[in-house]
Amino acid sequence: MNTHSIPEKELVAIILYISLFFIIVSVVLIIFFYFSRKKIIQKELEKKDLILQYQKEQLHAVLQIQEEERKRIAQDLHDDISSKLNIVSLNTHLLSAPNLTEAETTEITENIINLTAKALENSRKIAHNLLPPVFEKFGLHAGIEELCGEFESSKSVKTYYKNELDFDDKEIDRHLHVFRVLQELMNNSLRHGKSNEIWINFKEDKGTNTCYYKDNGVGFDSEDFENYRGLGMKNINSRISFLDGTISFESEKGKGVEVIFTF
Amino acid sequence: MIDILVYSTYFVLIVNLIAYSYSFFRKEKANVFLLCYLAFSTVMQLSMELLYHLGMTNLVVVNMFFAGQMLLLGMFYNSLTNVKSQKMFIKISLITALLVLAIQFCMNSSVFLKFNLFEIILTNLLIVVFALFHFYNMLTEDKTYYYISVGLIFYLLASTVLYLIGNLSIGLSDDVKLLTWILNSFLVLCYQFFILFEWIKSFSKKAFSPNKTTLK
Repeated sequence: MNTHSIPEKELVAIILYISLFFIIVSVVLIIFFYFSRKKIIQKELEKKDLILQYQKEQLHAVLQIQEEERKRIAQDLHDDISSKLNIVSLNTHLLSAPNLTEAETTEITENIINLTAKALENSRKIAHNLLPPVFEKFGLHAGIEELCGEFESSKSVKTYYKNELDFDDKEIDRHLHVFRVLQELMNNSLRHGKSNEIWINFKEDKGTNTCYYKDNGVGFDSEDFENYRGLGMKNINSRISFLDGTISFESEKGKGVEVIFTF
Repeated sequence: MIDILVYSTYFVLIVNLIAYSYSFFRKEKANVFLLCYLAFSTVMQLSMELLYHLGMTNLVVVNMFFAGQMLLLGMFYNSLTNVKSQKMFIKISLITALLVLAIQFCMNSSVFLKFNLFEIILTNLLIVVFALFHFYNMLTEDKTYYYISVGLIFYLLASTVLYLIGNLSIGLSDDVKLLTWILNSFLVLCYQFFILFEWIKSFSKKAFSPNKTTLK
């Protein structure tokens, strides 16, 4: 041992300092762990709150959409069917009136036939809008083809639809969401984007079904989150989250919109 | 054996200094206090080496190094944190520590001619506390200077003990005397590699941000 060259006082000091060092280190570490734990738990709670808030918002959106849909259907029924049936009933009352000439009778009957035909046509249209029969009978592919056809014939939009997927009829419930998303996107492209060309492409990308959607409208600023707060966007997002998919928007002002979603 | 370790430590230190000053002067990204710290360490290491070759005791420089290290790293962490109370704590503790050291120097300057145990504990533990502040702040935010802090805490905790028993080793025989210092220079080398790794991770790459929004 060489300790004789070191004064005892110094040796004690060294031992004391070393023990002090370890005591301080352990205390500091314990305090550190305590506060870190607290912070992490708090952060977790905040995250949960955020999720709850989001769910609440989605629920509100669903209710709002439901109310709006009801309003729309009520309006359709009122404007297109009730009004016509009203006139029909008026006309039938007229028929029961006495002293009608032959010409008047035929005119009234013709009126009634015309109006009932129109009312029928309208009710068919309303039902069709609610759920296209083609979609229900022949699946998503045919449904989208018909949708594109409708847009082309009635709204002067050129559509390019390409499908490389094989849709399973058993998944029709999921496909309805896809259909609705596309319907919403196309309506948006037309209403807000003023586009006249739309591309829809279904492809398989890395094992997941992916839809590439593009238009040539005015576009919007995809960095601005205010653009994602509309009811239609919320509707799309909740449908995509229902499908466990992802969706990404890419757009710039004046450059159209590109949407890619998986389902 | 020890020569290789010591000189490779100097080498990595100088590489770090060059790398960080490149990032600082060319891209204006690296922290100024960190750069100062690296420059200060380089100067101190080289002067210690010089004193050693001149056959003089370099323990005064070691003690200066501890104080300077605390000051610069304290300012480094002070510039990283955004929490007011932490900034306050760092500033107050830095000033108090320097005052206490100055008082100690005035009262008994001979302690600065060997390993000043009080100074070592004070300066190194304060840096560890500052680094832990930084870790605490990083828990919920992006990692910045993460590897440096990891290396720093690892090095300081391990080497403090070695420095504390430094006065003991003076009395030991020559064969075992250097053992602790071999270990210490190995730790310094590890620490310098952490700093280098930090630079590779954070500063060598070009950052890019895709103009795309993804919702899930």
